[in-house]
Amino acid sequence: MTSAPRPFDTVLVANRGEIAVRVLRAAKESGLRGVAVYSDPDEGSLHVENADQAVHLPGTTLADTYLNGDAIIEAARSTGAQAIHPGFGFLSERADFANAVKSAGLIWIGPPAAAIDTMGDKISARRCMIESGVPVIPGEEISIGGDSDHLGVLASAAARVGYPLLLKASAGGGGKGMRSVHEPKMLRTEYEAAAREATAAFGDGTVYVERLLKGARHVEIQVLADSQGNCIHLNERDCSLQRRHQKVIEEAPSPAVTPTIREAMGEAAVQAAKAVDYEGAGTVEFLLSDRGEFFFLEMNTRLQVEHPVTEMITGIDIVQKQFEVAAGLPLGLSQSDIGITGHSMEARIYAEDPSKGFLPAIGDLAMWRAPAGPGIRVDTGVREGDAVTVDFDPMLAKLIVHAPTRTAAARRLDNALSDLRALGVITNIGFLRQMTTHPDFISGGITTDYLDSRDISDFAEPDPDPAILVAIAAAASRFGLDRAGSGSSESFVDEHTGHSGDPFRTLTRSFP
Amino acid sequence: MEWSIGESGVRYIAKLSDSEGTLSLTELTRDGHEAPHSEIGITRDSQGARLLVDIDGSAHIAHVAKVGDDWWIHINGRIHVVHGHEPGSADSTAGEGGLTAPMPGTILEVHAKAGQRVREGQTLLVMEAMKMEHRIQAPKAGEVLSVNFAEGDRVDMGATLVELGD
Repeated sequence: MTSAPRPFDTVLVANRGEIAVRVLRAAKESGLRGVAVYSDPDEGSLHVENADQAVHLPGTTLADTYLNGDAIIEAARSTGAQAIHPGFGFLSERADFANAVKSAGLIWIGPPAAAIDTMGDKISARRCMIESGVPVIPGEEISIGGDSDHLGVLASAAARVGYPLLLKASAGGGGKGMRSVHEPKMLRTEYEAAAREATAAFGDGTVYVERLLKGARHVEIQVLADSQGNCIHLNERDCSLQRRHQKVIEEAPSPAVTPTIREAMGEAAVQAAKAVDYEGAGTVEFLLSDRGEFFFLEMNTRLQVEHPVTEMITGIDIVQKQFEVAAGLPLGLSQSDIGITGHSMEARIYAEDPSKGFLPAIGDLAMWRAPAGPGIRVDTGVREGDAVTVDFDPMLAKLIVHAPTRTAAARRLDNALSDLRALGVITNIGFLRQMTTHPDFISGGITTDYLDSRDISDFAEPDPDPAILVAIAAAASRFGLDRAGSGSSESFVDEHTGHSGDPFRTLTRSFP
Repeated sequence: MEWSIGESGVRYIAKLSDSEGTLSLTELTRDGHEAPHSEIGITRDSQGARLLVDIDGSAHIAHVAKVGDDWWIHINGRIHVVHGHEPGSADSTAGEGGLTAPMPGTILEVHAKAGQRVREGQTLLVMEAMKMEHRIQAPKAGEVLSVNFAEGDRVDMGATLVELGD
């Protein structure tokens, strides 16, 4: 399986925000011209500033703009871009778009459309993994006839799957008709309860029995594959600290992964990638049980938000590798070249209010000063003066640290978070500081159910000394430091929020 | 100017004395009563939005930004919001904060009407903002003076949804 080099000198980035900035910078460093696309609210945003050329996408909805494949392909044609990088989100996992890019004679910086298709569907992905010997969560679908010995059928399936297990009505949903069974003697009671709960759902006679993994960790393997059949992995990332399936802090390596698990999981990930003839960068996600067993969860056929922690510990620029693979070049790396240097952590900085159920926050970034120093990296799509609005994802930046040990990395992350001066928009920075210094995090024992089973007030920041804050506010007023108020010449300033202009406009610079 | 911190409705007044560019805190009142405080002296740094803050003899740096009536303050690795109020003004941000729209969004349900007496914590409205449901609850017992929106209405952030009297 070889293919001729497909050189390109100009790449269009079909995305916005932090990841568009990241990819455009990598393009520049690879000696490529970068083309950005932007919708009205993003005029003058950081990703446009980082591009050699930018194409405006008219329209008001995402379907008109960042999800408009035809307009994006046309933008590539008109600017002479020979390749398209989709970033993550938006069109990155749309097989039809990958095909359209190729049909237009352009290079798709991503995996083959068939790989996106297979991995994009949970059932076909699971089937494909079983066929290629990648461990999946034990489970089977069984048909229960009306008058046959349904408990016998169920019990033998349950014995094969193993306890504790989950009973699911395959036509059910929303938690209805779903029961956990911890030991065989409870099977009958729980099955009957489930059947009562979802009579309609169980009416089709199909029940799904799946092993219940409690206290599991989310561990994923970064893979890289070229068009010549080489496929390697870049070790794991641990993303167990999640809130409602949204990752909060990611790290590499995982504190729960031993060299033995790493080798086995890495091999399984490479197997998974090879099973779909993968090309480029991808991530195979696993659940790691407290007994050290791991099971395939899904494969993300794109770059991931948390890719920087892998770059930090391996020294490999994953985006540059994506460019090389898309250009038909060999990886130029073998598995034995991949090591682990130190420990890396990434905290996602969100405009959200942890004290109000993580409600997304909006406003103007009156001050945005990112920390710097050895072992600190900030990937961001915003600048001081930018407005944060409801238009897009509330992630402002990713703060990534690298240090010789996990303990040092956690301390460096806390220090960097405390140096991040984000004023004007409520963020989760204080919550992240409480998290990075929490004994449960320091000990490395976080599982995916951790945050959702906690009272968030456990992570409330310490009460400040009111005298100090009030004295500072009074002194700042006396000194006339209210530059935000005087510096803005916007005609409309919302008195309640201090937000200038239409709250639905975004990333317009309203400060000098 | 009166000040409140974060979500708390407590009002503070600070008296400062100026000595060669250093402002010292001479008196702090908390809801009208004098409150103890540390020795605090503040000078302006040559950098625009930076203050040198001396607290009981130790030096700290504060970065500040004014947004509307609020001072955003970064000091000792923490970010705080101090709200400014005209002396004697009604509490618009903390005490009745629940009665304004926390985000731009859409009203889903209206559970109160003008003239109705409500108890503290009673849900008055339910709104949807950024795909999340948010309950607007009465911050105190009282009489509903007006309900300014109906089901299905779009509201801007900060819009007064319900006015509540005693």
